[in-house]
Amino acid sequence: MKVEITALSHTFFTPQPRPALLDLNLNIPSGHFTAIIGPSGCGKSTLLRLIAGLLRPTGGRILLDGQTPAQANAARQVAWLAQSPALLPWLTVEGNIALARKLLAARLNHQMSVQEALRRVGLEDAAQAYPFTLSGGMQQRLALARLLIQNAGLWLMDEPFAALDEITREQLAEMLLDLWEPRRPTVLWVTHNIYEALRLAGRIIVLSAAPGHIVADFSVDLPHPRREDAPAFQELLREVRAALNLAVEAAA
Amino acid sequence: MNRLRLTGGLIAVLIVLFFLLAWEAAVSLLNIPVYLLPAPGRILRTLFEHPALYAQASLLTLGEAFAGLLIGLLAGVLIASLLTLLPGLEEGVMTLAILLKSTPLVAIAPLLTIWLGFGILPKILITALLTFFPVLVNVLSGLQKVERHHLELFHSWHASRSEVFRYLRAPGALPYLFAALKISAPLALIGAVVAEWTGASGGLGRVMWLAYTNLNLPFLFAAIFILAAAGMSLYRLTVWLERRVIFWQSHPEP
Repeated sequence: MKVEITALSHTFFTPQPRPALLDLNLNIPSGHFTAIIGPSGCGKSTLLRLIAGLLRPTGGRILLDGQTPAQANAARQVAWLAQSPALLPWLTVEGNIALARKLLAARLNHQMSVQEALRRVGLEDAAQAYPFTLSGGMQQRLALARLLIQNAGLWLMDEPFAALDEITREQLAEMLLDLWEPRRPTVLWVTHNIYEALRLAGRIIVLSAAPGHIVADFSVDLPHPRREDAPAFQELLREVRAALNLAVEAAA
Repeated sequence: MNRLRLTGGLIAVLIVLFFLLAWEAAVSLLNIPVYLLPAPGRILRTLFEHPALYAQASLLTLGEAFAGLLIGLLAGVLIASLLTLLPGLEEGVMTLAILLKSTPLVAIAPLLTIWLGFGILPKILITALLTFFPVLVNVLSGLQKVERHHLELFHSWHASRSEVFRYLRAPGALPYLFAALKISAPLALIGAVVAEWTGASGGLGRVMWLAYTNLNLPFLFAAIFILAAAGMSLYRLTVWLERRVIFWQSHPEP
């Protein structure tokens, strides 16, 4: 799914006017994995919420394959994954996926089975377990399986692994890439972790402090799996960090 | 944990036993006359000397309490659901409910007896009125209190309002329903007894009223003992049910 953002601004009015995004322009071709990085409070999450149709922008325009966010949402083409796996505690692992499948049934153009979704994230043996018996990493894997079954053209991810420990986070990042690879939906990945962005994304957008706008745009042409000690990785790391530091200092 | 619960139950029984023994001792040591405060032994003897009378009265009162509770529960859940699906109605309906709630029970009970007679109907109605409000308030806040990340998930699925209600709000409100039940179940007994007190052809309230007018305190206290035991059993039953239905509650939310 192609993402076209033109002159996007958003201001919150509660209680006082607080501009969150200002004149943001961004074009993302279909099938790209893009990381959005920026100082905290820069409007990264607001941007994602606007694209998801959870908020309506106070200015500018968002088009997703030529549709408004509301239209794309009605077509179930926009999947959402945040820091909380948002599992339903009264349903089993299987039940959580089955509910997503049921509510999305009319729009699922390929019929991935619940078992297949669980197998892809390595949870097939936990199908009958309840979410509260799972570790944080397993819970987020379950959320990934649920994301997968939606078969959406756009994945919006708001720091989904931020609450997990370093090793689990890396494992899940690898898993995410494997899940993403076969169908290549467009991914917008919000993070504050430069390493994570460099390991996963094909492109890194750096936002300024609030009101957020784009201050840098890097393309990451490194083959997967990426080695952190590769000179090209280190070079990009320096550049992204410098851009981020500049954005933070500009705010101070 | 099981052993802990068992020990807790044992301590509870011991505390009640100790209280009854202290009461018994105080009555006999201080020579308290039976028309002021009968000893527990005397009360229990009265109870077991008239098993048929108390069984019949209890059955009637408990039946009224159950029927009233059921109606109050259904009405509370139904109206809370309606207000969640049509939030525009909330303020108007809640104002009406609070008006109803703030009218004293002792004012309504005799009225209903005058209008509906000495049968069980006014008792059931009063019990329903009394138990309805805690259910409405609790279940309504349960249905409205939904985690933001859950709402965002259902939004991303473009779920309809009724789907959000059925798959997210309703199961999420179950703990609140049980919280309400813990308040409403003992209230149901009070409702039935107070209603009987204002005029009835039978039931524990009637027995208590007769005993009261004759200053037969062992008779009166026997009824109170039954009500206390019934109230406690109802509460325990609710807790037992709650543990089975809301198995995910004692665990942190994922």
